[in-house]
Amino acid sequence: MTDFLTGAGVVFSLEMRQRVRGIAWYVMLGVFFVLILLVTAILTIVSSVATAGATDASSAGGGAFSVIIYFVLLLGTLVAPALSGNTINGDRDSGTLATMQVTLVSNWQIVLGKFLAAWVTALAFLVAALPFLIFTIVEGVRPLTIVVSVLVLALELGVVSAIGVGLSGLITRPLFSIVVTYLVVAALSVGTLIGFGLGGLLLQSPTTTRVYSSTSMDEDDVDEDGTAIECTFEGVQRGTTPRFDRVWWLLAANPYVLLADAVPADPTADYPSDLFGSITYGERSAQLAPELNSTRNDCDLSSSSDSSTTYHHTLATTTPGWLVGLIVQLVVAAAAILGAGLRLRTPAGRLPAGSRIA
Amino acid sequence: MTDFGGISARALARSFGSVHAVSNISFDALPGRVTGLIGPNGSGKTTLMLMLASLLRPDAGQVLISGIDPTLDPVGVRARMGWMPDALGSWSSLTVRSALETTGRLYRMDRTLAAARASELLDLVGLRELAERPTRVLSRGQKQRLSLGRALVHDPEVLLLDEPASGLDPVARLDLQRLVRSLAADGKTVLVSSHVLAELDDMADDAVYVEAGATVSVERVAQARSSTRLWRIRAAEREPLRAALLRFGDGPVTDDRGDLLLPVASEAAAADLLRALVAADLSISAFAPAVGDLEHTFLDLNRTADRP
Repeated sequence: MTDFLTGAGVVFSLEMRQRVRGIAWYVMLGVFFVLILLVTAILTIVSSVATAGATDASSAGGGAFSVIIYFVLLLGTLVAPALSGNTINGDRDSGTLATMQVTLVSNWQIVLGKFLAAWVTALAFLVAALPFLIFTIVEGVRPLTIVVSVLVLALELGVVSAIGVGLSGLITRPLFSIVVTYLVVAALSVGTLIGFGLGGLLLQSPTTTRVYSSTSMDEDDVDEDGTAIECTFEGVQRGTTPRFDRVWWLLAANPYVLLADAVPADPTADYPSDLFGSITYGERSAQLAPELNSTRNDCDLSSSSDSSTTYHHTLATTTPGWLVGLIVQLVVAAAAILGAGLRLRTPAGRLPAGSRIA
Repeated sequence: MTDFGGISARALARSFGSVHAVSNISFDALPGRVTGLIGPNGSGKTTLMLMLASLLRPDAGQVLISGIDPTLDPVGVRARMGWMPDALGSWSSLTVRSALETTGRLYRMDRTLAAARASELLDLVGLRELAERPTRVLSRGQKQRLSLGRALVHDPEVLLLDEPASGLDPVARLDLQRLVRSLAADGKTVLVSSHVLAELDDMADDAVYVEAGATVSVERVAQARSSTRLWRIRAAEREPLRAALLRFGDGPVTDDRGDLLLPVASEAAAADLLRALVAADLSISAFAPAVGDLEHTFLDLNRTADRP
């Protein structure tokens, strides 16, 4: 085991020295820093104008500043494919992969070392964003939110790096594997939303509603609490309802939803208090199966639900979406890494058309 | 199969899709000797090297490197074998020294040992002055030497050199030749492929000829080797020499850069000819085959490729 890690460590340090000495990496890091600085500055100015004179400035800040965390996630998932998507096939093109394969490091050590290097390089971007994330605490974001967000951001960068490294092993041409990595990121970020929407609409279930209503048109014909005295069965309404509860896991695999869901809800608030809370509430509600056989009683006007209990009740009774999403993402990442490792086995048997060993 | 160490290949075959890169290659390369691997472009030399280097699995046949089959025990083979690829890749951001050190670490050496070995190799391949320069600034010939150094990091018993001399200047070629000879003198098995046949002539003890993915039979090599070849003859008095050659020789005499060329059937015939020329009181200053042994054989094999 120690030997295995030592070998992977040599590959890792070689890979890091190759990456960090490239000037492009520092330029990207600088651009990244300036972009987040701009977004934070603009948000600070806008929110200070908007909340000028308002007493509850901190909660307004908390709502706005979760946007910064999303911005870091957006930029991070845009940078990570470029940092990882040509690790293996790029080495093959420059003629340095075979010289490594012929030494005593195994295919798994090569893949692991390269993955860790890609992840650590991507994490540098998270570190660059850290001052801004911590700054949002001043503006009213809960420290727990920041801690969880940073952890999830780190994991997301790891997942994207793993997919990038995996695809760079499975696909022969570097440009193509980078593009496919971007497409996978797009599928996770946007595709899951589309899949969720279309999937829910496609999987419709029939519903029946038994309708009761007051027979009397006379408004005096009610007792003290407003319930109609005479009530009759009007008939059964038939319809269909989308089954989002069957495709909600697609939503959970979305990095933005996953991040929101992982952040614990504010226990003191009866309603979602920020962007993350609202998104979580939406995703958790989608898990609830719609009522297929319902009764509508127009006579009973007092039967309205109490939404203040529903928010925390929904969170408590539904599956933690972040866990499901994380499992989905980790399976994809592990499959990519596994595929690349198998492709790097030597002596090589079948080679994909048009590819070379060295 | 014998267990003499070195390299042993039996009936190797490997195809890529419908392309039969190697169809039937068998040969032995012995420890303490330099074996030249000779064949035209696309004859399967590099594919063969990849199979010997434990990177490519043969479709059929068997390889033994120091008695170990790379398909069954690639790690065992890699610990004993050094491979210098024909592609010149190097880790562009690393210095020459750290590239050699890293290679040592990849061969499971600890830091101290890898650093010491890298320092030794810098002198061995003549890159001492460039030790602290990044490898991307190296010239083609310098990269070639770095690549050779990398192949030697773990002091392997068997060396596979794929086109080691291409891009080297004449001085570096001589250095390479000396290095390869001294490695063989230490008891290592060296297999060298090259297009520059004159250079292999000076370096190789044995030769393996490859043609269209198959080794050329010993008989055909012997036949090609002994076939009529041109000899280059120089004397102070050219016209008397021409007259003598027309009298003693049995072929057309041609002029070539001040020398005369004459086809001679065998070594024995050449010896007779020289004796006759000296007896005729001509002052002979050069008398040698016009092309090297390997080149002559190679060219003759190419000419007879269509014949069985």
